[in-house]
Amino acid sequence: MVEGVGRVWLAGLLVWAASLMVPPALAAGLGLDRAAFAAALCGDGAAQTSAVETFLRRSAEAEAGDVAWAGTTLRALLDRRLACLGETVVILDRAGAADGLDAATGTARPATGGRSPVLGLRQRALIETASGVATLLTGSSADARKGALATVERRIASVPEPVLRRAAAAEADAGLKASLAAVVESAALSSPDPARRLAAIRAVAEAPSGAAFSRLSALKADPAYGADPAFRTVLDAALARVERSVSLGNALAVLYNGLSFASILFMAAAGLAIIFGLMGVINLAQGEFIMIGAYATYGVQEAIRRIAPAWLDAYLLVAIPVAFLASALVGIAIEALILRHLYRRPLMSLLATWAVSLFLINGVRVAIGSQNLQFAMPSYVSGGVPLYADFVVTWNRLFAIAFAAVTLVLTLVILKRTPLGLDIRAVTQNRDMAACLGIRTRRVDRLAFGFGSGLAGLAGVALCPIYSVNPGMGANFIVDSFMVVVLGGVGTVVGTLVAALGIGGANVLIEPLYGAVAAKVIVLVGIILFLQRRPEGLFAVRRRR
Amino acid sequence: MSGAVDALPRKTARRAGPSLGSDPLLAGLVATIVAAAVILLVLQPAPYLVNMVGQLAAFAILAVSLDLVWGYLGILSLGHGLFFAIGGYVCAMHLLAHAYAVTGVAPDLMQFMGWKSLPAYWTGLTSAPYALGLALVLAAGVAFVFGFASFRSRVNGVYFSIISQALVYVAMLLMFRNDTGLGGNNGMTGFSVLFGWPMGTPGVVTGLAVATLLTLAGVLAGARALVASPIGRRMLACRDDEARLRTLGYGTTRLKLGIWCLSAVIAALAGILYVPQVGIINPRVLSPDLSIEIAVWVAIGGMGRLGGAVIGAVAVNALKFWLSAAMPEAWPFILSGLVLAVVLGLPNGFLDLAALRLRPTWLRRGGAQP
Repeated sequence: MVEGVGRVWLAGLLVWAASLMVPPALAAGLGLDRAAFAAALCGDGAAQTSAVETFLRRSAEAEAGDVAWAGTTLRALLDRRLACLGETVVILDRAGAADGLDAATGTARPATGGRSPVLGLRQRALIETASGVATLLTGSSADARKGALATVERRIASVPEPVLRRAAAAEADAGLKASLAAVVESAALSSPDPARRLAAIRAVAEAPSGAAFSRLSALKADPAYGADPAFRTVLDAALARVERSVSLGNALAVLYNGLSFASILFMAAAGLAIIFGLMGVINLAQGEFIMIGAYATYGVQEAIRRIAPAWLDAYLLVAIPVAFLASALVGIAIEALILRHLYRRPLMSLLATWAVSLFLINGVRVAIGSQNLQFAMPSYVSGGVPLYADFVVTWNRLFAIAFAAVTLVLTLVILKRTPLGLDIRAVTQNRDMAACLGIRTRRVDRLAFGFGSGLAGLAGVALCPIYSVNPGMGANFIVDSFMVVVLGGVGTVVGTLVAALGIGGANVLIEPLYGAVAAKVIVLVGIILFLQRRPEGLFAVRRRR
Repeated sequence: MSGAVDALPRKTARRAGPSLGSDPLLAGLVATIVAAAVILLVLQPAPYLVNMVGQLAAFAILAVSLDLVWGYLGILSLGHGLFFAIGGYVCAMHLLAHAYAVTGVAPDLMQFMGWKSLPAYWTGLTSAPYALGLALVLAAGVAFVFGFASFRSRVNGVYFSIISQALVYVAMLLMFRNDTGLGGNNGMTGFSVLFGWPMGTPGVVTGLAVATLLTLAGVLAGARALVASPIGRRMLACRDDEARLRTLGYGTTRLKLGIWCLSAVIAALAGILYVPQVGIINPRVLSPDLSIEIAVWVAIGGMGRLGGAVIGAVAVNALKFWLSAAMPEAWPFILSGLVLAVVLGLPNGFLDLAALRLRPTWLRRGGAQP
């Protein structure tokens, strides 16, 4: 044991001595003797550790080419693609290959008889970090650098601060640059220099987030917190500031989520409200029209994948008219085949639409299967931009909100500014009078039903990037969207909007406090209490039936 | 539409007499039910068959309870599963508490939650009369609170249906939680003793089925007496034109509330009888779909006729027992097809079919009314 430790020391000393003996030109600024570095990697654990630590220390100033080379070599070592033949080291294409490239010179040479070093657990972690640093500094793609940052963060203590600074300065990707800057600051938090430390605390407080808060709180356990009043004041101020910002950011996030949930609810309920207001028909199949919209979106995606894979990203936009038409056509067919006969019997039409929904769910289940559909996420609905503290504006939710807003405007335009809208409003107010005036109420019914179903199909498109799509998905929305219709007042788009905002907001506000179930209970009780005051809902349409 | 119009005078004419004998269909049904009970007792068929008959009878009671409020009062509840579940849950609690007291084996849900004893609100449930009373009072109480809030503010028609559906949905979400002390999403099962007899023996199975059949007969006779009485006339009047009835000075809210609570109690009774026969209760009985299915039974059988509710419940569920085992993929299609066919073609359900057979349209139109 003693002998082993002694040997490790000796080897470390040798490597150190070797590093001293490198030509002055290399040692001065660029500091990486490729041959010696490769040879050290072929040595025992201590030699590896020492070489890699040296590399880590110097990587802040080393030439990019050297860093990239070291990264390649380290990765080869990690993957057991390094073959040691005495003094020369060969990098193989794959583990166990017969020949590869000389690590030091880059020339091809055979690797037969070479030994691939096996890494100890401690060396492996260090070498992974070093390889990550190399990728962080010289990696070609943002994704690779992002992955490398995750690796490096695991052992952030062993990475010198200047290296991180260099990476942050060179970073092109904005999101990655921000997280690198944060990492740099948190590394500086444990700097031995007090002034540097205080600056780091202030800098961390400049970019508030939940992670920053926990990093700063951890400093309260630091001995300096008790001993140094200046440190204490700065830290307390920083903590208070971060806390304020984080809670503001969280409030914004709740608002944002509530808004996006309300958008989906509005999309699901708008068609329901039009159909209900116009014909008094409760459409229990509305959730399945949403499902049809989502499946139509899937169909569009698959079609584009086959025909023009390059345009795959555009499928969500192409799907908008397709989903609308698909749901509208199914709706019109159902109206013409079934509901037409049931207008004077609303409770029976309710059962009929339930049967339709049962049929549609099981039809899709048998024809396509009950698994969740897989959607390719176009770039414009994946990811997001961090706006303030922990509040991230995610594109998929923004897409849903914008989508609902456009739908709202179009619906209002159609209802208020087109001849069809005029007819729909007339029939909603007084069906018999409208018929007497020569409005073909049956045709209006059919078109309105198609329109309402189409709106549900649009909701299906908006849902694809957010929720899972399967045959049973409609059932999750039907109760909520009914609540919206009842609360908003039948047949008013504005009432539907207000009710959707209210219910969506209430759900999202209550959920973090008491859980999803309590949120549903409270919302339902609230609606029942509200109906005590206004049985017709928020915005009742005056009509004579 | 025309069917509904010319059906009305017939219905009122037929409901003129207060006695059961003036409705041959219903009298025949009650006689059949009692006869079935006797046959079960005497012939002792295979237990699974007996059990099936018992379950069908429980569903029939449930259908009758919904028909009372929907067919006669025009209130379509899409949440009647709630009252059924109240009965079922209290019954299950009684069975577990009783078995725990007799055998000393802790129920699964106690072991699952790591409890040393049952929660405080389980106290006294070892006593069957207390449990029965609790179930009925609880169902009536929930129905009263919900009905009072809705009827007072004149929430009716489809609004009421939607709200009642939301009610049962919320109850389902609540019951899916494990911390309610009612088994959470696993529900309650493992009932071993009923009044001291071991569950599952042929004797107990037959006893339960016969009790359910007799309860069904009793409920039918009672409901018939109710709808044939002056209160029944008022119910029909309320269904057909509530505003006018109110104008005439009748308190429709009180009427609706009373019948609504009665219906809830009957539904709870069905739940009480159902649970020991299937040996399990879980939050799935509270899913909105199952509550809609109750309305489907009534619609298929013929709403507004007590016999229709029974026939619908028995026919649909017998078909379901058979088809969901024989061809599970096809069952939903058959059910939806059945509903559409009945809704579009037979506005009064299967009873239309019977009327069609007995008296073809040309004869009915010809003024040959008896």
